[in-house]
Amino acid sequence: MKLGAIDLGDVKPSAWTFLTWLGLFTLLPFCIILTMSLVQRGEYGTLTWVPTLENYARCFQWIYAKVLGKTLFLAFVATMSCLVFGFPVAYFLARSTGWRRNLGLVLLFIPFWTNFVLRMYGIISLYGNNGLLNQSLMAMGLISQPLPILYTRLGVYLGLVYNYLPFLVVPIFSALEKLDESWREAAQDLGANRVQVFWRVVVPNIQQGVAVGALFVFIPMLGEYVIPDLLGGAKEAFLGNVMVSQFFVMQDWPFGSALAGLLAMLLLFTLWIQTRWGQSDRRFTRG
Amino acid sequence: MGKALKKPNRFVTAIFILAIVYLYVPLGYLVIQTFLKDPNDIGGGCTLAWILQLLQNPDLLAPLWTSIEIGVLSATLAVLVGTLGAVGLTPIAAKLPVPVQTLILLPILLPEVITGLSLLLFFLLLRFELGFFTVAIAHASFSASFVYFIVTEQLRKLDPNLSEAAQDLGARPDQIFWKITVPNVLPGILGGWMLAFTLSFDDFLISFFTSGAGVTTLPLKIYSLMRLGISPELNGLSFLMILLSVCLVIALLLRRESREWVLKR
Repeated sequence: MKLGAIDLGDVKPSAWTFLTWLGLFTLLPFCIILTMSLVQRGEYGTLTWVPTLENYARCFQWIYAKVLGKTLFLAFVATMSCLVFGFPVAYFLARSTGWRRNLGLVLLFIPFWTNFVLRMYGIISLYGNNGLLNQSLMAMGLISQPLPILYTRLGVYLGLVYNYLPFLVVPIFSALEKLDESWREAAQDLGANRVQVFWRVVVPNIQQGVAVGALFVFIPMLGEYVIPDLLGGAKEAFLGNVMVSQFFVMQDWPFGSALAGLLAMLLLFTLWIQTRWGQSDRRFTRG
Repeated sequence: MGKALKKPNRFVTAIFILAIVYLYVPLGYLVIQTFLKDPNDIGGGCTLAWILQLLQNPDLLAPLWTSIEIGVLSATLAVLVGTLGAVGLTPIAAKLPVPVQTLILLPILLPEVITGLSLLLFFLLLRFELGFFTVAIAHASFSASFVYFIVTEQLRKLDPNLSEAAQDLGARPDQIFWKITVPNVLPGILGGWMLAFTLSFDDFLISFFTSGAGVTTLPLKIYSLMRLGISPELNGLSFLMILLSVCLVIALLLRRESREWVLKR
């Protein structure tokens, strides 16, 4: 039997073990959720096995569309912020040598070897009403009331940037490292100023790597659950939070599954756009 | 790299320092709070009581052991399955149809919240009892793909001439596998195991969905303590774990061969 370019007889048993594993523990559970998104909810949270698309239609009701919009908006703004702050950080590292570079990289990564929940705990204690920030601002007399940061959109934003910044620094850093220094020198010798060198030599050469890096920050942000849950409270729920509450609070599994399906489609769509964009981009620069 | 590499300018350095401050202040604050008599009062005096109290608290030590056990079991499972996949699929990797490639990437791409929920439904439908083993399987289910990519990378670097030479000299396929492939891929396998362990040890969300009431890992314990509010013991725990990660990262970075792996994570 043949599948595409592969003769199934050539596929070794070891490969089948891995593919079966993936099929059983990734694909099958995912298909269960997709199937569930296509049936009706019965009374008292039971399931009625009647196929329907109603759950997906409900995703676009105003209240859920608003959540979707907020999720996209905040993930986008946080990704852009990581890019804006991550670029100088990566630039610093790429331009440093020896112990300075090593120390910089170590410093950047130590927080990420600390448990994720503990990092969130650190943010909560720092920005809370009794936290260091509000305490010191009040002691300095700059504010009389604690600033509301936790359980607001700002809190979620700060948490997202905190958690994803290094993951965008690394791809920018490796793209910058691959950049041949002699190109920059050549441009300078030919009379380009620093701004021109940056926009016409550095940016075109690293944009592909940076775009992929940004995408791999944006996608997990879209599916974020813990950060909005801990730092945003009920008001700043992301799509993932609304989805989970459909399962555990509203007992509406089909609708929760439809939200999961929608989220998965959104991610695949983002990836697809990126690959398309990447291809056309390559055509323009190298063609 | 040319010799004329310019030093980073002031603006870039300032942003770098700002970023480091942003990343460290929350953690540093946790560490300081550990040694304060009243965690919310910086001028209130120091104490070691919280750390001592923590070290005698079985409520926190038991979840730590559970996390280590689940980490070891899931990493071992993931390495077995992922390595088998890499060895079996590398010869036909270039020809793999897109759906199969997507399937391998799926555990990495899917948001944890979907992975966790879908595994929960899967375990419920199959009437698995939620607990230690469901969490370990759930962790292995996504880390196997990470192992697959790490080992595949190593296999790709492996010089095909080595196996051919061995074959010419009369080695059987199993001899080639054990004497050429395995020793050369071993760094990848070990790296994959450690990555799978850290992914499991650090994981909160997937454990949250697949653990039921049966088992409590360390991140789950921390989460439930956090929900109760700021606790000095939790600060002590943070201090110990930050210390541990500092030591770990420094130890790994001092070794040249593991540096690349640390930075990839």
